[in-house]
Amino acid sequence: MSQSRPFKVGRRTVLKSAAALGATQLAAPFARAQGGGPIRMGLNDPLTGTYAELGKNEQIGCQLAVEEINKKGGILGRQVELLVEDSTSANTGNAVQKAHKLIDRDKVQFFLGNVNSAMAIALGEVSNQAGILHIVTGGHTDSVTGTDCHWNVFRVCNTTRMETNAVSKTLFSKYGKKWYFLTPDYAFGHTLQQGFEASLKANNGTELGASLTPLGTTDYSSYLIQAQSTNPDVIIFLQAGQDAVNALKQAVQFGLDKKFHLAGAQQELEVLDGLPPEARVGTWVFEWYWNQPNVPHVKEFVAAIRKKNGGKVPTARHWFGYVSAWTCALAANGAKSLDPKKLAKFLQNFKLPPEVALMPNDPFYREGDNQLMPTLYVGHAVSQGKADPEDLFVVDELVKGTDAALPVAETGCKMKWPA
Amino acid sequence: MTQLILYNVYNGLIIGAFYALMALGLSLILNLSGVINFAHGGFLALGGYLAYVLMPFVGFWGALVISPLLTALIGLVVERGLIRPLYGRDPLYSLLLTFGLAFILEDGTRFIWGPATLPFSIPAWMTTPLSGKLFFITGFRLFMVLLVAVAVFGLFLLLNRTRLGMRIRAGTLDLETVSVLGVNVRVLRNLNFGIGIYLAGLAGALAAGMLGLQPTIGSELIMPSFVAIIIGGLGSLTGTLIGGLLIGVASGVTTVFFPSASEAVIYILMGLVLLVRPRGLLGEEGRF
Repeated sequence: MSQSRPFKVGRRTVLKSAAALGATQLAAPFARAQGGGPIRMGLNDPLTGTYAELGKNEQIGCQLAVEEINKKGGILGRQVELLVEDSTSANTGNAVQKAHKLIDRDKVQFFLGNVNSAMAIALGEVSNQAGILHIVTGGHTDSVTGTDCHWNVFRVCNTTRMETNAVSKTLFSKYGKKWYFLTPDYAFGHTLQQGFEASLKANNGTELGASLTPLGTTDYSSYLIQAQSTNPDVIIFLQAGQDAVNALKQAVQFGLDKKFHLAGAQQELEVLDGLPPEARVGTWVFEWYWNQPNVPHVKEFVAAIRKKNGGKVPTARHWFGYVSAWTCALAANGAKSLDPKKLAKFLQNFKLPPEVALMPNDPFYREGDNQLMPTLYVGHAVSQGKADPEDLFVVDELVKGTDAALPVAETGCKMKWPA
Repeated sequence: MTQLILYNVYNGLIIGAFYALMALGLSLILNLSGVINFAHGGFLALGGYLAYVLMPFVGFWGALVISPLLTALIGLVVERGLIRPLYGRDPLYSLLLTFGLAFILEDGTRFIWGPATLPFSIPAWMTTPLSGKLFFITGFRLFMVLLVAVAVFGLFLLLNRTRLGMRIRAGTLDLETVSVLGVNVRVLRNLNFGIGIYLAGLAGALAAGMLGLQPTIGSELIMPSFVAIIIGGLGSLTGTLIGGLLIGVASGVTTVFFPSASEAVIYILMGLVLLVRPRGLLGEEGRF
């Protein structure tokens, strides 16, 4: 009777076919990435934990760029798709795992990230081994484009040294040469302090002391007691994110802003936004600022981000994400290729066009260390915005990236290109 | 130098009082129900956020009164719905539950209020130092210490002078007998959990005045409270209070000599106490 039921489908067959169907669906991304389908860009950034807000803002910037790229014809005529993975804020192992997922499984052609400096370094290793173009969005420690530099890794945000160099002159001339440091105890804080110490040395300044504060410190009172006992001209705060909010909030509650000058290197709109008005004080460096009435295309960018960002203005983080994604498209369309090596070569000394740069002085990727040479905004925080509630920073001086950065020879970067 | 150390002792007492406030809530719940409440930090954050939401309507003082009560209410519901079914089981179950709950609360606040730090302002007169010399004693911090003193005093009155308090204490010693004597242990545990969470909510509203209000505020503050309990001794609320003050002072004084160890010192202290006197300063022997 076997021939009378040729169409009977057994249970095993159903299972097998279901498995096969599942396999083809799983395999779909591999197939798509190779052919004429969309080009994939993978962003690896913290969406949870301490840096969640910064990561989220970079993501919004990337999204806007991808939409614009697609509207203008995509990359080499193909549409672009943005894939996002949460690296978490502190677990570097997790970030590396997610990077492998993006690169090995999803086959992204371009890799972007990360906010966290330690992750940026680790991800640079991963992308270098995979040999794909990697744009570091917002990890600042010097070595990313210094001792740990790679031919395929480019960085949009500044090095910590650029930030300290940019602000030092103003601090010396206006506020004095005796400084006390409050330094977060990890790579980012240490390199910032070293940068400032180099400035002190060059200008015969005095370091009255430094308190290393553990990352994630909540109570800064004992460090502030220590700082005020040395009677400095300037107390330098090198904390970022939530640490910066806590430290500044408490310093101002203790009235230290009335006795000393408070300052630091990198400051972000996210931090000023989170401070109560009275604690928005001090001299800082911004890496990009939204209120630049005389710079072309900035207004359009601000309006576009506001639409995606619940009405809030873009921060430097949005700009990092935006520039990073656009850099990939500009490189590929300019070099007419997707070959990572050709793209990296194309980007040497590549000037960003004004509609992507959104700042004066034509920022460019420096040949030799792949570091973007942008303009730095030195200025001071204000408690209330005049025309706009989010106008919390007044730019006093623009510093060229090339004037703030160490020469390539001194960065420690020895670039090795593949044969 | 002496002055610097003295300053740090004062300052440490202030911070220690705050640690104690959080730790007392944890300790209450642990003592009666045997639940190690990892979600305490999550409730603390919730207290801060509720205070932030309420402030435009009822002012700082109103928020300080209402927000802890609301937090406690949520605590009561959580205890009833999630924790109660686990009482008979291995403590590991409730530990895992509160561990997960901590994540849910943190991401829940992030989902509702966003990851950005919210600017939480306290009345201006409270943020000015009371004297030029002791600049670190601001109105707010003094108020906080007073409030902690009142809360601790109130808690001790409640535990020692009221029927509910006596039952909680009796239950801590021998829950089964209390139950046999006709006390509704379920209600007792529920109320006790609510009081613990009330203290977490209060700590949250206060913390938001000193720190940036953001979803991880609770998880950053919770570890010292656990240390305070272990140093003070499980089962003893007075011990918890002393433990809190002790780590505050130890951390402050360490800053004078070796700032980067100021966080580590509380764990070193904990290690020492565990080595020399494993039950903690005032803990009962044989508990846990």
